[in-house]
Amino acid sequence: MSVRLRPDAVEEAQEALRGHERVLPRGAGTKPALSSPPDGTVTLDVSGLTGIEEYDPEELTFTARAGTSLGEIEAALAENGQYLPFDPPLVAAGATLGGAVAAGTSGPLRYRSGGVRDFILGVRFLDGEGRLVRAGGRVVKNAAGFDLSKLMVGSAGRLGVMVELSFKVFPQPQAWATLTVDCAGLDDALALMGALATAPLDLEALDLEPPGRLWLRLAGLADAMPARLERLEGILERSGERLEGEEEGALWREVRDFAWVAEDAAIVKVALVPKRVPELEAKLEPLAVKRRYGAGANIAWLAWPGERPAQELDELLRSLGLAGVFLTGSPPKPMVGTHRGGAFAQRVKSALDPSGRFPDV
Amino acid sequence: MLLSALGAIYPPARILTSRAELAPYECDALTSFRASPRAVVLAESTDEVVETVRACHRLGVPYVARGSGTSLSGGSLPIEEGIVIALNRLNRILELDPEQRTAVVEPGAINSQVSAAAAPHNLFYAPDPSSQSICSIGGNLAFNAGGAHCLKHGMTSSSVLGAKVVLPDGELVELGGESIEPVGPDWMGLFVGSEGMFGIALEITLRLMPSADRTRTVLSAYESLEAAGNAAAKVVAAGLLPVAMEIMDKLAIEAAEGSVKPGYPEGIEALMIVELEGDHETVDREFEQLLEVLEGAGATEVREPDDDAQRALYWEGRKSAFSAVGWLSPDYIVQDGVVPRTRLGEALAEIGRLSEEHGIRVANVFHAGDGNLHPLILFKGSEEGALERAEELAGEILRMCIRLGGSVTGEHGIAMEKRAFLPEMFGEEDIEMMRRLWRAVDPAQIANRGKMFLPEEELERDEAADPDAAPSSAAVAGTAGPPPGGASSGEARRDTR
Amino acid sequence: MSLPVPIVLRRFTVSLPVLHEIKIHQHEPQAEEMAAAIEQCIHCGFCLPTCPTHVVLGEEMDSPRGRIFLMKEVLEGNMEVEEAAPFIDCCVGCDACVTACPSGVRYDELIVPYRAHAEERRERDWRDRLLRRLIAETLPYPRRFRVAARLGRLARPLRRLAPGRAGAMLDLLPETLPRARPLPELQPADGERRARVALLAGCAQQVLAPEINSATLRVLARNGVEVVVPREQGCCGALDLHSGASARAKAHARRNFRAFPDDVDAVVTNAAGCGSGVREYGLLFKGSAEEGQARELAERTVDVSVFLDELGLKPPPPLPEPLELAYQDACHLAHAQGVRSAPRALLAAIPNVNLLEPDDWELCCGSAGTYNIEKPDVADELGRRKAEALLATGAEAVATGNIGCLTQIEAHLRALGRELPVVHTLQVLDRAYEQASGSPRAASP
Ligand SMILES: Cc1cc2nc3c(=O)[nH]c(=O)nc-3n(C[C@H](O)[C@H](O)[C@H](O)COP(=O)(O)OP(=O)(O)OC[C@H]3O[C@@H](n4cnc5c(N)ncnc54)[C@H](O)[C@@H]3O)c2cc1C
Ligand SMILES: Cc1cc2nc3c(=O)[nH]c(=O)nc-3n(C[C@H](O)[C@H](O)[C@H](O)COP(=O)(O)OP(=O)(O)OC[C@H]3O[C@@H](n4cnc5c(N)ncnc54)[C@H](O)[C@@H]3O)c2cc1C
Ligand code: SF4
Ligand code: SF4
Repeated sequence: MSVRLRPDAVEEAQEALRGHERVLPRGAGTKPALSSPPDGTVTLDVSGLTGIEEYDPEELTFTARAGTSLGEIEAALAENGQYLPFDPPLVAAGATLGGAVAAGTSGPLRYRSGGVRDFILGVRFLDGEGRLVRAGGRVVKNAAGFDLSKLMVGSAGRLGVMVELSFKVFPQPQAWATLTVDCAGLDDALALMGALATAPLDLEALDLEPPGRLWLRLAGLADAMPARLERLEGILERSGERLEGEEEGALWREVRDFAWVAEDAAIVKVALVPKRVPELEAKLEPLAVKRRYGAGANIAWLAWPGERPAQELDELLRSLGLAGVFLTGSPPKPMVGTHRGGAFAQRVKSALDPSGRFPDV
Repeated sequence: MLLSALGAIYPPARILTSRAELAPYECDALTSFRASPRAVVLAESTDEVVETVRACHRLGVPYVARGSGTSLSGGSLPIEEGIVIALNRLNRILELDPEQRTAVVEPGAINSQVSAAAAPHNLFYAPDPSSQSICSIGGNLAFNAGGAHCLKHGMTSSSVLGAKVVLPDGELVELGGESIEPVGPDWMGLFVGSEGMFGIALEITLRLMPSADRTRTVLSAYESLEAAGNAAAKVVAAGLLPVAMEIMDKLAIEAAEGSVKPGYPEGIEALMIVELEGDHETVDREFEQLLEVLEGAGATEVREPDDDAQRALYWEGRKSAFSAVGWLSPDYIVQDGVVPRTRLGEALAEIGRLSEEHGIRVANVFHAGDGNLHPLILFKGSEEGALERAEELAGEILRMCIRLGGSVTGEHGIAMEKRAFLPEMFGEEDIEMMRRLWRAVDPAQIANRGKMFLPEEELERDEAADPDAAPSSAAVAGTAGPPPGGASSGEARRDTR
Repeated sequence: MSLPVPIVLRRFTVSLPVLHEIKIHQHEPQAEEMAAAIEQCIHCGFCLPTCPTHVVLGEEMDSPRGRIFLMKEVLEGNMEVEEAAPFIDCCVGCDACVTACPSGVRYDELIVPYRAHAEERRERDWRDRLLRRLIAETLPYPRRFRVAARLGRLARPLRRLAPGRAGAMLDLLPETLPRARPLPELQPADGERRARVALLAGCAQQVLAPEINSATLRVLARNGVEVVVPREQGCCGALDLHSGASARAKAHARRNFRAFPDDVDAVVTNAAGCGSGVREYGLLFKGSAEEGQARELAERTVDVSVFLDELGLKPPPPLPEPLELAYQDACHLAHAQGVRSAPRALLAAIPNVNLLEPDDWELCCGSAGTYNIEKPDVADELGRRKAEALLATGAEAVATGNIGCLTQIEAHLRALGRELPVVHTLQVLDRAYEQASGSPRAASP
């Protein structure tokens, strides 16, 4: 049985951390593969550290405590016509800001606007010794000192416990529109993506649903939308299905929040580039793994069947030299495949967590 | 010993040791600091760089990597007892893959050449520091360089996907990858902006962006610098997302007109260049909205360039403004601080007040879109004490940035120049964490030693620490003149000859 | 615990004013300009990408920024002239750095007086002296140059015995020298006279490509310009000036003060190097009694392309066939005199000419004065790059405004196996006018 701790203040969190030899922070647990503690490790539940501390809509930045739910943040932003362009998944499930950063998850919109790493401005976190450290700042540009805020992105609670985060945000576009296009097959779809890569289109999102369906999302001024859709269709040389309005938004929310993933399957994120898709497809196709490619096929989202061991995916990804991470499910270790960082990663980890209080990365 | 070790790696012609060969490497674009290294090596392969770093580690010799030597904070200032590893000959673009929108380059590749190579594919490399015609990608990466168009596309770190890196003990690692979205901790993100202290990037994978369908630029004039700053804040608040938003004050305009002659409106106090980019339909509509905002914000004149040539000229005026200030004053300090965008007007007014109070002219040319100020403090070095007075003013401006909730550097880095300000912006624990990181990554402390952290603290730490625990206590060094307004570093030597 | 070794740091900016105290101030009237250039350099490096030696050698010492630093060290007495010499010598003198510098550093006003200053303090070995002497005593004198060139051709079989610079000199000699064509002392205008000018005839050009002057005279005449060609004129002195031999340069200049008449609208030149040489007379004579005279001649001297463009070119008839023509900026025209648009305007005025622009226009072709003799390796690399850039435009012919560039580019195109015609801007104009009038005299590009 693991002991649960749920501090409401930073000092309490420090105390709780220092009081235990093995600790793993947890936000709301939407990514249980990351936040479930290994044996002998206590969970430090930071979901009590909540609240938006500073939000100046004119500045387009905010600072919030790490346990604040993304839902709360999105609501506050929406009131001012703003949003988080990195489009974090699992908002509806209650995901926290800290959890989104630690998991490093961005949604479909990251294609154009950038991911969590491109919007985070600063952080306050507890290192493995419980020391409260600040890095970065609250302004949109800052080059003072090492960029530890970025390091927190994807750190999966294994490099520090975030207590406060600062972000920049964007004004929300007036209108959205989506075009889905069915290509002749994977090769055709990839070829089309290749052509789109260098076209001046400003696509917000470009997803590939294998084998051959492309999802293209536009955003901007409502008046400009019809002409843009037309031009887009012209470039595609294929007709597609247009979607607009509430239906369109709902569709993407489902994508973002993994509605397409079966209950018993684990969500896995894999980093890649479009040219690697055919190899991965060749391996996954026979296994009947549901999957989807986001951010112009820079991310593969897999629904890894519950009955298949995580080990199998680990080996599969290793054979391709790709890196992946389990967000849900209960793998022995969330990170699978070939991860980079080597000695640099070890040294940085040893500086942030000298006594190994957090699990290995 | 050092020379024979280098001799085993390089032919003699690529090891520079004579006075005349070393002198030109003594400083970067922050000319107030100079130091002569023991040698400069001109690397032509990544293997040579790795071997050199290994030799340095073995012999406990500190090194500084050097791209094009345009750092404005003393980043590529040599270490007197160390060597300089010149990377500018390692300047090839190794790979360019339009469909993946990536390029793989050597560290010495020149920023603008990457864009030039990508241009035939309708792609470009987004970060565009004003020095882009000469600064290297390695130097950009080390300083997380920004530029006018980073407002929309992000700083260098948003455009660096991966790198092969040699750590300061010669170990090779790969960070990041090719994907725009990393998995696992963002090691690459931490390395970017580490000012050369975590090792040398050898092969860098860059993200390219598709060129926009339409670009529209508008130049607006204001009755005061403060008004221009407020206009910038209004554009941001209006929800417009320009790709670039730059302000120049009267002095900066004068300097540009003396140099590249961009033909800006005459007799104005300040101007702002705003650029929108995107598809035709959107840009044209947003442009109308932008004009309304600018007029509402008190612009006295609004002007769209006639053609691409004039647009290019407007930008050239802006981009050469730092250097052009050489027309106005023999010496000046380029400052780099950040304030919240909503407080730009206030900050600029305060700079004006400080300038008057100190009786020192300050030219302003900066990235308004992200609140990144570049006050240029003009002085005449030949006047007794002028430099010190200028530095004092620079220090006050930086403190104001901190007070307003900003930062002491937006893109030029800490390096030598701002070491004294890091403790003003961060707490002891924060800086101690940064030091711990450096020590962990570079136990011998040979990579760019003496930069970023003040040496006094370094010494205190060493006294406190167990001497045996420090891997190379003799190697702890680096003292320098106090940076502008330098709070401490009292007896550090600054030879003014 | 051992004590840390402190880094000794110096303030660059503060050390600058010391320059005013150094000895050269009393002797050298150009000290002010030199100091200004040094002071104004903010070390930004914007000049590096267009500096030919930096592009080829990739070393800071061989860049404008590095050279300014080295000259500063020497002038301040921190470094011996000889130490800095290899890197200063390597400078092509193309002035690309002047064009590139946003800070307004007049590198040209530093390097030229510096070379004179340094020359007096140098010890060159006898071979060096001999070679420099040989160049200085032949190139500026058309008759001597002809003789030397013939001798040189005779010496070709011995090429392998003459390595390095002497060898390079032999390589540059043309296979055959065109027949000498004496110029008339006065060429009247065709039709109504619109202007009267004096022609600075250039020395090496008269030997290597006398047809350029003939073409120039014809084009001027067609445009209603009367041309006098003063007999007494001599070399402009640029060669000596740029190699630090200021006494010899002054002697050449004085001769020209006397030679050029006052009753002309301008002194025109079709050799960029000569034009830029004359334009430096002011600084050369600074502080002396002759300064006024020198400045006056310098101010009246213009490149023929600028003169014609300002006068208003008589519309040339079309070339018989369309011509893809690349224009190559001569450094001494584009950088030293800031002339870029006039020659283009003239060429573009010819119907049927499609003007092409090579990449890296700023980069020197490696000819610059006697550079291809002094530094053959660097010059060769530059020549090769330039030839490649020109070929990449798909041009059928190349036009340029300087005899040195012309020979250099011709040689390097030949080396690449692509012998495109390389002609002077005025020769293209000449051809358009002459072919339309059925005259057989025009050169055919
Ligand atoms: C598939 C799925 C299954 C669910 N199952 C349940 C259930 O069984 N019971 C239930 O009550 N709810 C469940 N939920 C709902 C869920 O618990 C919450 O709504 C939601 O858990 C919030 O999680 P999070 O985003 O904060 O990330 P988390 O899953 O809490 O954390 C992700 C990663 O971030 C790290 N982390 C989090 N915060 C920080 C921080 N401040 N600093 C450093 N690292 C941090 C963690 O260590 C972990 O590595 C489920 C949701 C989903 C999508
Ligand atoms: C006129 C002028 C305008 C400028 N404008 C801008 C601007 O708009 N925005 C901006 O951000 N900066 C600007 N700068 C500053 C400067 O150009 C940038 O900091 C640039 O990134 C430095 O590049 P460099 O190649 O000259 O690097 P250097 O000066 O040679 O080196 C800078 C630092 O990087 C390290 N380094 C170099 N290569 C590597 C490598 N491969 N791996 C690891 N470390 C390395 C060096 O050790 C050193 O610490 C400007 C400078 C000037 C002179
Ligand atoms: S561009 Fe001008 S100021 Fe900059 S280094 Fe070159 S000469 Fe100096
Ligand atoms: S004159 Fe030409 S070769 Fe000499 S430093 Fe300037 S650019 Fe370089």
